[in-house]
Amino acid sequence: MRSTLFFLLALPAIAADTAPQILAANCLSCHGPAKMAGLDLRTRESALQGNAKGPVLAPGNSANSRLYQAVASRKMPPGKQSLSEAQIETIKSWIDSGAPWAGPVKPAPQWWSFQPIKPSTKSIDDFINAKLAENNLTPAAKAPKRTLIRRAYYTLHGLPPTPEQVDAFEKDSNPKAFEALIDELLKSPRYGERWGRHWLDVVRYADTGGFETDIYFPNAWRYRDYVIQSFNNDKPFQQFVKEQIAGDEIWPDDLALDGGFQVPEEKRLHLDAKIATGMYTIGPVYHEAGLFGGQQRYEWLTDVVDTTGEAFLGLTFGCARCHDHKFDPITSRDYHGMMAVFAASDERELPVIPKFNIYGYKSGYPRWLKAEELKSAINRIEQRARQRVVDKVRARFPPGTPAATIDLALTEAGLKENAQGIAADIPFTPEETAERDRLIRALGDAALKANPVPQTATVLGPADKVYDIHLTTRGDWRSKGPIVDPALPSALANGATVATATRRKSLAEWLTSPSHPLAARVMANRIWHWNFGRGIVGTPNDFGRQGDAPTHPELLDMLAAELINSGSIKSLQRKILLSDAWQRDSASNPANEKIDANNRLLWRANRQRLDAETLRDSVLAASGALNTKMGGRPVIPPLTKEEYSSMWAREQWPEALDKSEHDRRSVYLYVKRTFPLPMLASFDTPDTSVSCARRDATTVAPQALTMMNSEFMLAQSKRAALRAEKSPDPVQYLWRHTYQRDPSAADRERAKGFPLAHLALVLFNSNEFLYTD
Amino acid sequence: MRPHFTPANSRREFLERSGLGFGALAASLLLQRDAHAAPPPPVTAKGKSVIYLFMHGGPSHIDTFDPKPLLSQLDGKPVPPSFGKVDFQFTKMEKVPLLASRRVFKKRGQSGLEISDLFEHTAAHADDLAVIRSCHHDGFTHITGQNWMNTGWARVGRPSVGSWVVYGLGSASDNLPAYVVMLDGGIKGGAPLYGSGFLPATYQGTVLRAENPPILNVNRPEEITAPDQRKMFDLLQQFNADHKNARAGDNELAARMAAYELAFKMQMSVPEVADITKETDATRKLYGLDDNMTSEFGMQCLMARRLVERGVRFVQLYSGGKKGSEVGWDGHNQCEQNHEFMAKKVDKPIAGLLADLKSRGLLDSTVVLWGGDFGRTPFTDGAEGGSGNRNGRDHNPYGFTVWMAGGGIKGGKVIGGTDEIGLRATQDPVTMHDLHGTLLGLLGVDHKKLTYFFQGRDFRLTDVHGENTFTSRLL
Repeated sequence: MRSTLFFLLALPAIAADTAPQILAANCLSCHGPAKMAGLDLRTRESALQGNAKGPVLAPGNSANSRLYQAVASRKMPPGKQSLSEAQIETIKSWIDSGAPWAGPVKPAPQWWSFQPIKPSTKSIDDFINAKLAENNLTPAAKAPKRTLIRRAYYTLHGLPPTPEQVDAFEKDSNPKAFEALIDELLKSPRYGERWGRHWLDVVRYADTGGFETDIYFPNAWRYRDYVIQSFNNDKPFQQFVKEQIAGDEIWPDDLALDGGFQVPEEKRLHLDAKIATGMYTIGPVYHEAGLFGGQQRYEWLTDVVDTTGEAFLGLTFGCARCHDHKFDPITSRDYHGMMAVFAASDERELPVIPKFNIYGYKSGYPRWLKAEELKSAINRIEQRARQRVVDKVRARFPPGTPAATIDLALTEAGLKENAQGIAADIPFTPEETAERDRLIRALGDAALKANPVPQTATVLGPADKVYDIHLTTRGDWRSKGPIVDPALPSALANGATVATATRRKSLAEWLTSPSHPLAARVMANRIWHWNFGRGIVGTPNDFGRQGDAPTHPELLDMLAAELINSGSIKSLQRKILLSDAWQRDSASNPANEKIDANNRLLWRANRQRLDAETLRDSVLAASGALNTKMGGRPVIPPLTKEEYSSMWAREQWPEALDKSEHDRRSVYLYVKRTFPLPMLASFDTPDTSVSCARRDATTVAPQALTMMNSEFMLAQSKRAALRAEKSPDPVQYLWRHTYQRDPSAADRERAKGFPLAHLALVLFNSNEFLYTD
Repeated sequence: MRPHFTPANSRREFLERSGLGFGALAASLLLQRDAHAAPPPPVTAKGKSVIYLFMHGGPSHIDTFDPKPLLSQLDGKPVPPSFGKVDFQFTKMEKVPLLASRRVFKKRGQSGLEISDLFEHTAAHADDLAVIRSCHHDGFTHITGQNWMNTGWARVGRPSVGSWVVYGLGSASDNLPAYVVMLDGGIKGGAPLYGSGFLPATYQGTVLRAENPPILNVNRPEEITAPDQRKMFDLLQQFNADHKNARAGDNELAARMAAYELAFKMQMSVPEVADITKETDATRKLYGLDDNMTSEFGMQCLMARRLVERGVRFVQLYSGGKKGSEVGWDGHNQCEQNHEFMAKKVDKPIAGLLADLKSRGLLDSTVVLWGGDFGRTPFTDGAEGGSGNRNGRDHNPYGFTVWMAGGGIKGGKVIGGTDEIGLRATQDPVTMHDLHGTLLGLLGVDHKKLTYFFQGRDFRLTDVHGENTFTSRLL
C-alpha cells in the first residue's frame, strides 16, 4: 500500500541535476544559515572547512568524505526522505572528480512547509477528485440524508440531532436544505463547545497543575470559556492567535478609565484578549516544597515554548531544549531565543471587574475581619486543648530527658505525624465544646455575610524583573552558557525581529503576517482534521521532516490562503462541509481498498468512533437529561467509592452539590491533571501534559465494562426508559433517540421482553450508537 | 514464543494497524497481545513477567540494605565537609547532625549479604537477591522521585515501565489485563505513575482492588441478574452483527464486538483471581494473611502471584499509599519508628511471595523488583535542628538501594555502593535508565530497540541513555 502511494506522497521535488543543487535542495535548510552541527554547505569553502569534527569534503576521494558517507549510509538527510540512489551516485562521482562548485549555491528551495503558501482558485473537490482519478479510485456515492445530518451534528456540535430534526431534514426536498442546515448548526452555541474542546486539546487545557500538589487554577475556566466564545463568534483566526500570545501587549487597556461600574464594550473585548493569554497559565506546574524558583521558571518556559511551537507552528521544538533539533532546522539557540520571548512575562491576577466594584468589596472588607476573628478564636480553643495533651505526655519524663525521646513519645501518642496514621483524640472540656460550637455557628453566619473576593483572571503580564536567558546544555537549568536575546526561529524568521519591550507582540504579529508559511497551514490542516478525522498532513503538530507529508499539498495551500484572506474559520468549515468529499458515504469498495485501504485520498468518508466527551454528551442527550447551561467554574461530578479510593487528596474533589450540574456537557467538567475522570479517560481523553493534536481511538475491554456496568450508564438508561414509557410507542422512542431512526420489524421482535431500561443500555452500548458513518 | 511483529516505527503506523483497518484484528489486540519488541538478544533471558514492589514515601537504604559502619561512629556529629553538599527537600545538610541507624545488620545466607533486622523474613532469601546500592536520580520530591522510578523521567507524560513492558512483550493472558496495579491507598504521583503516557491507552495499568469490585465496573450491577445480563449481551451482539454486516471490511467494529465478549469474560475471570478461598491455610500463613499487621500487603502479594500465574505480564504493588493521615514510608519524623512499622507490614508477605514463587517454579520467569521513591538522608530532617525532626530522615535521591530477584538472577549479590555515610552513589552509579534498561534486558528486550515514535522522534523507556545496563552481571 505504501509503495503504491509513495509517488503521491513524495514532496514536490525540484529536479536536481548537479551535486551542489542536490545539496541545496536537501541539506541547506539545516546546514545553511542555521549552521546546524556547525556545518555550512552553502559554499565550497565552507564545505571544505567542515565543522568541529573536521572537513566533510575530500575532493577526489568520496570514500574519505564524511558528506558522502553520511548520505550513502542514509544517515543524512535524516527522517523519511533520504536521497535516491541516483542522487547519491551523482554526489559520489562529483566528489571523485574534484567537487567542482560553480559559485555560491542559490538559496535553498526549502522544506515544503516553509515555502510560501500558493493560493488557488480551484475548489476542494477539484483537488480531491483529481487525485482520485489519477489513482483509479471511484468516489463513493453521496451519503443518505440521515447519515449526513448525524454526521453534521456530531462534527459541528458533538451531539446527535433530535429525531424531529432528522425528520424535518429528510422531508426537506429543497436542494439547499443541507446548506441551510450547516448554517443553522454553525450559529448554535453548541458549535463553540465542540470546536472549543478541539482547541483545548491542542493547548493541553486542565484546571489543575499536576504533580504532587496538583494546584487548582481558579481561573482556567475563563480561558476555556474564551475559547468557546471565540469559536462561536467566529473570531478571525489571526486575532485568535494574537490574543492568546499577546492580548495584553497588543490591546493594553484599563477597565476603569472610562465609565464607572459600566464597562464599555470595547474594553470588555480588550479584557477578553487578556484572558486569552491564560493559555500560558494552565500548563503543568512543577510545584512542590523545596523546589528552586529558577528551575520552576525554566520548566514553565519549556512548556510555553513547546506548546507555542506545536500549537501555532506545527513544529516539535522540544528536542532543541537540549541540543540542535536532529531533523528540523531548529537550533538550541532558536529554542532559547523563543524562551527569551516569554522571559519578560509572568503570570498575574487581573481583576475582571471595574475598580469601582473592587472599592465596593474593600468597603465591605471588615465583614471578612469578623470571620477571621472567629477563626482565630476557634483555633485558640483547639490549641489550648492540644497543649494540655502534649503537656501530659511531657510530664511523664523527668527534666533533662533528651528531646528526641520526648519526640518519639509524642509521635506514638499521635501528636506528631506517624506511619500508623494515629491522630491523638483531643478532648475538650464541656465549656470548650459549647464555646467552640457557638463560634463555629457564628463563623458560618459571618462567612455568609462577607462579600465574595473580587474576581480575577489569571493572565500574562510584564514580569517584575526581566532575567536573561542563558543557553543551557542538555536541558540542565543550572548551566549558564552565553546570553540569548529574544529571537524568532532563524530558519523561519525571514527578517522579522523581536521588539524588546513587547516581545510577545512581535511573535504574534510575525505568526499572523500574511506571508507566514506555517501558522495558517497548520490551522487549516487542524480544521480539516477535525472535520474528516484525518488531516491533509496526518501529523497536525508536526510539519517537519519527521511528520507526514501532505496528501494534497495544493489543497492545503488553498485552504490556508482562504484562512489568511477571510480569517473566518466558520466560512472555511462551511466550504469543507459543502464539498462532495465530505458528504460521501462511508461504505467501502473492494477495488478502492486494494489501492488506498486507509482512505488517504478520501474516496469515502471515514467511519469514526465518538470521542469521550461526545459519547458522554450523547448519552445525556439521548436520556433527555443534558443540561445545556454554558460556561463558568468547572463542574466537579460525583465519583463512586471505588473511583475515590485511588485519589491522593479527596479534599481536592469538592463535588458539585447542585445535581443538575452533573448533567452538563463534558467540556465543562473538572479536568484534574492527576485524576482524569475514569469514564472519559477510558475513551482516550488526552493526558494534558503536552499538546495533543490527535486523539487515539482505542478499543479495549474496560470501555465495555464502563458502558455496561457503571453507575452513570445505569442512571442514564433508567432516565431514558422513564421518558420512553411516557410515549405511545416506547420502543420507537428509544430507537429514535439513540439511532435517530425507527426500529425495524426485526428490531422490535428482538426487543420483545426486555425491560426498557435494559433496552436503552443495550442501545447505548451498540456500535450504531458509538460510531458515525 | 509467538512470532514477533516488526516494531511499529511510528505512532501512526501503529494506529493504522490497530485502528484504521490494517491487518486482522481480534481479541488479541484488546488484550494488548501484540508484541512490539525486536527479537531477544543472544543472552538467554528467562524473565516473562515482573512484580514491582513499590515502597511509597521512600524507604531508607541505610536502615535496610546498605550498612554504614562509619555512620554509627559519627552519630550526632555534623556531616564532614569532605562528603560535599547537595540539595534536599527541607533539610540544610550543613546544619543538621548525622543520625546512625538503630538497626542491626547481619550477614545472611551463604553469600553473606548484609541486610538489617527490619527485613528478617526477606533476609532468608538473601541468596536470591541482587541488591543494587548505587541507584540515583535527581528528584528529591515525591512526585519527581516516583516519576523517575516509574517512567524514567522527572516530569509527567512518559509511559510507565509496565506500559513499555506490555508494549514490548504483549500479553500472555486471555482474560485478564496485561498490566495490573494494586494500591493500599492514594499515591502521590496518581494515575500517571501507571499511565501509558504517549503510548496508546491500551497499555496503561489497570487498578485491581483487594476489596470488591476488584476492577472498576467489573461487577455486574446488582439490579441486573446474570441471566438478564447475558441476554443483554446477546442482544447487543445481534445488533452489532447486523450493523457490521452492513459495513463490510471494518475490522474495528469486529474488534469492539470482541471487546464486549472479553469484558463479559472478565466479569468472571477477575473475581476468580481475587477469590482466594481455594488457597491452602499454609499458603495464607506464608503471606501473613493470618495477622492483621501483614494481611493487607500479604493479600496484595498473594494476588500478584495469582496474576503472574495466569499470564499477567506486569504487576505493581504499592505499600504506603495514603489512607487517612498515614504517611507511608516517608519517615521525616521518627524514621526508625516509622520503618519498624512499615517493614513489619511488608517483610513477611514479601518473603512469602519469594518462597511461593520459588516453590511453584515461577521465580525463574518472574522478576521481582523492590524499591521506592528514593532513599533517605544519613542526617536528621529539618532546617535548623530546633524545628526539625530529631529522629527523622529527609529524602535522598543521590544514593539509594533497590533489589531484584528472580528472572534467572543469580542472587546473593551486591551491585555498586554509596559513600561511607550513604549520602551519594559512588561506586558503579546506576541511573534509572540503567535500571530500567536492565529490567528490560532480564525480559529479553533490548532497551535500545524498543521504540515508539512521538513528537518527531523515536522515544525509548531509557530515553537516549541507559549506557550502563548490567543485565549480564545479574544472570
